[in-house]
Amino acid sequence: MNPNWAEENLQTIRTLMERSALYRRALAPIMLLAGALGITAAAIGMLLHLTTIFAFDALWLGTAVIVVFGAFLIARKQAFKEKEPFWSPPTRRVTQAIVPPLLVGLFLELSWVGSGNASSDSVTFWMLFYGCALHCAGFFTTRSVKYFGWIFLFGACAMVYSNTSGRLDDAVSPNLLMGLFFGLLHLAYGVYLYVTEKGKHAA
Amino acid sequence: MNPELFLQLDRVIHEKGRLVIMSALAASPELTFTELRDLLEMTDGNLTTHIRTLQQEGYVSVAKSYQNNRPLTTCSLTPSGRKAFAEYVNLLEQIVRQNKPK
Repeated sequence: MNPNWAEENLQTIRTLMERSALYRRALAPIMLLAGALGITAAAIGMLLHLTTIFAFDALWLGTAVIVVFGAFLIARKQAFKEKEPFWSPPTRRVTQAIVPPLLVGLFLELSWVGSGNASSDSVTFWMLFYGCALHCAGFFTTRSVKYFGWIFLFGACAMVYSNTSGRLDDAVSPNLLMGLFFGLLHLAYGVYLYVTEKGKHAA
Repeated sequence: MNPELFLQLDRVIHEKGRLVIMSALAASPELTFTELRDLLEMTDGNLTTHIRTLQQEGYVSVAKSYQNNRPLTTCSLTPSGRKAFAEYVNLLEQIVRQNKPK
């Protein structure tokens, strides 16, 4: 018999206990908030003709900050309600998973800021890194988050494919694209979660 | 290795499939059948068989309910299951300590 079997069994137990503590805070209100703010930001961007890269990034980064702050408040409120720690191990793991792709996306997007107008390439950037972040988070929370991430990744790839020779940029404004993906998609996912989520949530 | 410690290990929990189920349930108040299946990458049949064995031993309780008109099976550790699991882990730790080179 392998003399290390007991140690291996303990390692298996440790790994599984870590993996099974899933992040299960109610994502539905967070997704609805993101969706509503995404649609509002798209409307503002289109109405005020915020088409330069600087204005586009300022608008959407500002929206992202508000969404993150709102999500934090919603999750914290729920943790208090359920008498659970807010900064639980699953919450930490989800945060650790999403931070690297989001930071890289932010860095690359900001390195583009300069003169000129925003294009669908900016939207593609946002979608690619946000999709990667969701996919990573999906390993520690409900599986639908992973699939939601894939929608962003496939959407970004489809945009790259359909934008050969700038056809997409001529037809649709980047703010509208952001509104569709970051507004409507989140809203739809929030509704889906409301319908399917269990009443009881624990992290 | 002290064979007495090995012989004291709970045979029901010691089986790999059941060990992973117990480990997953020990870290959560409850898990649905689907969550367990996805987490442990087991087939429905395999998971059902192991859960039944653990249920017969009184280690796992299974609750059946409905969610959105769909049947929902939820599993959790019973107090005796939690105790048996803790004892199993304690024994493993003792075995590991004994096997460590001095």
